[in-house]
Amino acid sequence: MRAFRAGLSLQAALLWRSPGNLHVLATVPLYTLILLAMTDASHQAGLAPNAIIAPTLMALWTMALFTAGDLIDRDRHDGTLEPTVATPAPLAQVITGRICAVTAASLIAFAEAWVVGLCFGVHLSVHHPLTLVVGILTTSLTTACTAALIATLLVLTRGGRPYQNSLSFPFYLLSGIVVPIEVLPHWVHPISRIIYLSWSADLLRSAFRPEEPRQLPMQLIALGLLAAAGLACASVLMRRVLDRVRILGTLGHA
Amino acid sequence: MNAIEIRGLRRDFPLPNGERGALRTALDGINLTVGEGEVHALLGPNGAGKTTLCKILATVLVPSAGTARILGRDVVTRLATVRPLIGCVFGGDRGLYGRLSARRNLHYWGALYGVPGHELRARAAELLDRFGLTAHADERVETFSRGMKQRLHLARGLMHAPRVLLLDEPTTGMDPVSARDFRTLIGELRREGRSILLTTHDMAEAETVCDRATLIDDGRILHTATPRELGALLSRHERIEATDVPAQLLAQMGTRSGVTSVNTGPDGITLIEVTDQDALTPVLRLLVDAGVTNLATTRPGLEEVYLQLIGDRGMDVAS
Repeated sequence: MRAFRAGLSLQAALLWRSPGNLHVLATVPLYTLILLAMTDASHQAGLAPNAIIAPTLMALWTMALFTAGDLIDRDRHDGTLEPTVATPAPLAQVITGRICAVTAASLIAFAEAWVVGLCFGVHLSVHHPLTLVVGILTTSLTTACTAALIATLLVLTRGGRPYQNSLSFPFYLLSGIVVPIEVLPHWVHPISRIIYLSWSADLLRSAFRPEEPRQLPMQLIALGLLAAAGLACASVLMRRVLDRVRILGTLGHA
Repeated sequence: MNAIEIRGLRRDFPLPNGERGALRTALDGINLTVGEGEVHALLGPNGAGKTTLCKILATVLVPSAGTARILGRDVVTRLATVRPLIGCVFGGDRGLYGRLSARRNLHYWGALYGVPGHELRARAAELLDRFGLTAHADERVETFSRGMKQRLHLARGLMHAPRVLLLDEPTTGMDPVSARDFRTLIGELRREGRSILLTTHDMAEAETVCDRATLIDDGRILHTATPRELGALLSRHERIEATDVPAQLLAQMGTRSGVTSVNTGPDGITLIEVTDQDALTPVLRLLVDAGVTNLATTRPGLEEVYLQLIGDRGMDVAS
């Protein structure tokens, strides 16, 4: 746990000193405004929670993809990966700690979207506060686990920026965070359900609906399984990648 | 038990643009032993294999063949027990978090080495003070000069008080005062009983701080000895440096038995090499009798040994 805490604290300090890494948060009010304007123009006031939740999840995913996903590759570029690997601390724990710091910082997006909503005259009623809290926690956890997998995969793919770019908007659409999955073609649904954001979006939206969140257990199981799968893949892959780069001698390559 | 024990160590790298399967040998069957408490220099030009050897010992690179042990533990199979024992200083501009302060960097690296929370602050403060960085402890590392970064690298390597230190070009970029302080530090670390493997280009540094030095080139060890023995290896000759030696005496010197060479440089300094101590005294007497009073006897420096053994290639990168 010491390595996890060290990673968490390091990344928090880096984010504080490099606010540029949080640039995604600057886009959240704009996306929120656009989506709220669309719901207003189409007289769909009931979709207001979607307009608040969507930019939040988009920010979480973007931060996972671009900031957390870049961690290992950036460390390699900056020459800090070699000395980190040379310490007795497990790299997976250090990286997980750092990713959790990034994910925690992304949650600011939720407050931003909420405030913009208030400014727009949207007063959301939280009918199931516990569901909202559990939804935020499980979404953060799954985001962190998925980001760990992305970070490891990006080490294998030198120059991964095009992959990162191509994984942003398609995921927003496929996961149903902008447009509900039900609106998408039927054959897309199974693909959407592999993406954790689709479960997160449903779970968070249900907290704002008066009806009982009956899907909550299934949503939590799905998110838990996807988080576990992401973390397991990341751990195995990270060990293999480390062994491979130590053999190839590319650990310190920028 | 030896601090470092290397047997038949080999490391091949695939050629970046070569044919499939084509390899470049960075280390070619290295055998090297560094005793506990010893300061050992690894001297060689760029591309000689010094950094590759350090990386293998630091557990961040796997050898192609052979074994390397730190205090009896294999660096490939016993990572968990080897890593806490070693402190690595790879040096250079990279390897630190530039956006963070020097103090914050040290806290982080100390935590990764398992230094308990309450000791981190005290240890970091002590090292910042030891390396003259206290006044800049809370400034961003990216604003540091190269020499300051180098000192911070050294502080980082000592955060967990390792028993074995691997220093890869530790004084690169340091000003002369810092480099002198570094040599003092090495003496202190030796007195604390730490074993040190130091790679360097700086012959004076190796000569001043090391118990033994190994000359390495093209992945092979050329020779291992004390700096003094290495000096004797190349030239067992004593040498006399003198100025204002009369031309007639110079001609006479060249024909004397025991005198191997007489050369006068453009600066007017004459270098007379003699075969041994017995030949030295008569030559000195001859010079003094001729009224030459500005003279000194010298021994070959490690730099001359190094350049002689490496050959004309000097600092060129090995192909």
